[in-house]
Amino acid sequence: MSATENAKAVLRRLTAASATERILISFAALIMAVLVGAVIILVSGRITTCQTAATTLFGTGFCYDPVEVYLVLFNGALGEPFLVNSPGILKPLNPDWNPLNFGFALTLKETTLLIFTGLSVAVSFRAGLFNIGTQGQLVLGGLATALFSFFVAPLLPSGLVGGLILIPLAVVVGALVGGLYGAIPGALKAYADANEVITTIMLNFIAAQIAFVLVSEFFGNPDSQVVETTPLPDWATLLPVAFPQGGDFSILALAFGLALVVAVWFLLEQTSFGYDLRTSGEQPEAAEYGGVDAKRTTVTSMFLSGALGGMGGAIWVLMVMGKWQAGVPALGFDGITVSILAGNNPFGVVPAALLFGTLKSGSLAVQFGTGVPKQLVGVLRGLIILFVAMPEFFRMLGSTIDLEPDRETVATDGGSLGGDDE
Amino acid sequence: MSTTTIDRLRDTELSYRATLAGGALSVFLFIALLGLAFPSSIWGNFLAILTSRSTLSSALRLSVPITFAALGGIFSEKAGVVNIGLEGLLIISAFTAVITTAVVGPEMTVLGLPAIWIGFFAGILSSVLFSALFAVVCIRFKADQIIAGLAVWLIALGLAPFAATVYYGGVNTDNLGTTLGTWTIPVLSDIPFFGAFFDADPAVYMMLVAVPASWYVLNRTAFGRHVRASGENPKALDTVGVDVSRVRYAGVLLSGFLAGVGGSALSLGLGQFVGNNQTMVNGKGFIAIVAYLFGNYNPVGAFGASFLFAGLEAAQIRLQQVPGYAIPDSLIQTIPYVTVLVVLALVGRTRIPEAAGEHYDTGDDNR
Repeated sequence: MSATENAKAVLRRLTAASATERILISFAALIMAVLVGAVIILVSGRITTCQTAATTLFGTGFCYDPVEVYLVLFNGALGEPFLVNSPGILKPLNPDWNPLNFGFALTLKETTLLIFTGLSVAVSFRAGLFNIGTQGQLVLGGLATALFSFFVAPLLPSGLVGGLILIPLAVVVGALVGGLYGAIPGALKAYADANEVITTIMLNFIAAQIAFVLVSEFFGNPDSQVVETTPLPDWATLLPVAFPQGGDFSILALAFGLALVVAVWFLLEQTSFGYDLRTSGEQPEAAEYGGVDAKRTTVTSMFLSGALGGMGGAIWVLMVMGKWQAGVPALGFDGITVSILAGNNPFGVVPAALLFGTLKSGSLAVQFGTGVPKQLVGVLRGLIILFVAMPEFFRMLGSTIDLEPDRETVATDGGSLGGDDE
Repeated sequence: MSTTTIDRLRDTELSYRATLAGGALSVFLFIALLGLAFPSSIWGNFLAILTSRSTLSSALRLSVPITFAALGGIFSEKAGVVNIGLEGLLIISAFTAVITTAVVGPEMTVLGLPAIWIGFFAGILSSVLFSALFAVVCIRFKADQIIAGLAVWLIALGLAPFAATVYYGGVNTDNLGTTLGTWTIPVLSDIPFFGAFFDADPAVYMMLVAVPASWYVLNRTAFGRHVRASGENPKALDTVGVDVSRVRYAGVLLSGFLAGVGGSALSLGLGQFVGNNQTMVNGKGFIAIVAYLFGNYNPVGAFGASFLFAGLEAAQIRLQQVPGYAIPDSLIQTIPYVTVLVVLALVGRTRIPEAAGEHYDTGDDNR
């Protein structure tokens, strides 16, 4: 058997053996994170002060009731299909509920953005590269989109025709800029052996500052006190179709994201480039034997990852803001959680993004309804990653239910055990 | 790889470092020359900033969290566990130190210990607990060290602002109205410029003790030998009857302790925890990783690199206060990060401990 076939066989066995296990571990990690999150909610309910205890356990009153928090969270994310304030365990359905509501639009908005950043992280992780820089790639890609649209819009006929020309171009520009910014750590990794974890994190800081300077010094909106670009005309942005105006969700963007999921899957699984990318992540030595140009694959993978992050920024600008504004939300970091939860599988990114989108949108309802700060999602984000990173923990837990023992590290997919990246 | 190749690699590494150090020195000399020649120009300002005592003292203060985190990183990675989570350890200790002081009451003393020092130790304790969690996850449950480290960072990045919001209603804590203060050594502190070393934050003195102490522990004690062996050749260590897992736990816990000192000193030096965006830690944990790579895992070298990065930061802060430049502050603020990138690109080929990042299986599953 040739080296290439050999590597292929290894790959097939790896993916087949661990697919079910991956899903199980993601679910288990989620449940553990929710449980630990519940403990944190309880404890923080002792720190804060309130008039009446929300719940009483073991004779002690707590200001926050974790069960209520999670109920309000999911209910809020779906736009209140249940009347959670009514007494009893089984909550009655809300007769006024409409699936095209504000809360659900918010959830889908977050989901759409997370699909892009999740895909971005997934592509790099599949290549065995820890791209933590999706955030920076998104910030600069988004800015490029906003500036391009702003300067080109006056040259085009306004209205539908202009939008059809401008929006795709603006997304491409965002992808290019994000991709080039992602290629920098790729090149540093390939040609200078600089650890991409550190370089991408440094580049996140640099991107935020550069974007801030560009907007505050050169391209800012003169009529605004905030550091932001001039708002784009409505026809140049992605407007909500069926969902309410304030939700900032366009079903077109979601459709584009889903199409990208299929495209990335096809690229990774069905093309020779994708094969090179995956082998250099999973079996670097086999890839070398198989004749893969490791340096070029590294740079290209990072470009691709950055381009997806840049598109995320473009969609954030075109769908959510209608302009670029300083203080970009941490979508890139959330993308890490989404990708890890998805086992770095493009199709897995969709449910993972939906779940995390639900958490993010529901957290607003939680803050409003129960007083628990919305920063809770930040804690859950870290906890989920932590638990997915330790499949061994669940194997030990699950050894009583006789889970098949499998020694592969699930989270990285790369199979490159951390340190040899340095 | 043959010995000669390794030697050649070592030589290039050394020359990289020498080039960098030489480069930094020649940039300084260049500025000094121009500054002396044209005292009223921008170069004169640069020179004034670089040679002012207040820049030195703020560079020392700023290097405290980076140096302590770097020392911690050295122990952990030398023992074979890559600790990417240093940033998270700094965040959690910085926050815990402030909130503990606030809860005790900033002006209280307990058992003769001022509240701020209780906060200081609580910060260290929180960091040690976090690193213990990280150690268990990595060593007992064989997690991928990079991802577990990222998780530690992200949990701290979420938890500190969350807890601050629960307690204060906002991501920043209130100002304590008190800080660690300064310890002034009489006479010595009157020396021009270098007097900054003797009129400093208590944490600066701790740092100046911790750096040589770490070097000594790592290079001259049995424990240090075990740590190094655990990262380079765990099998050999196992063979002579030393428990590799225990050494690794010790290394990671020590990194939590050291990073905790840095984090507590960071927030208590200011009297407040700032929690928006990347929090007040703002990448210092990651800069620390680059500092010890640059210092080639030598505590003294890591301190030198930390001091260089902190010096850039201090100069950058002073530069913002000089009027009359068209350079935007935000651009100047990128200088330390860009320098870190350049340094990493140039010394990227560091030789990390042989077994770092890999799980060591003793074959005995009950550890």
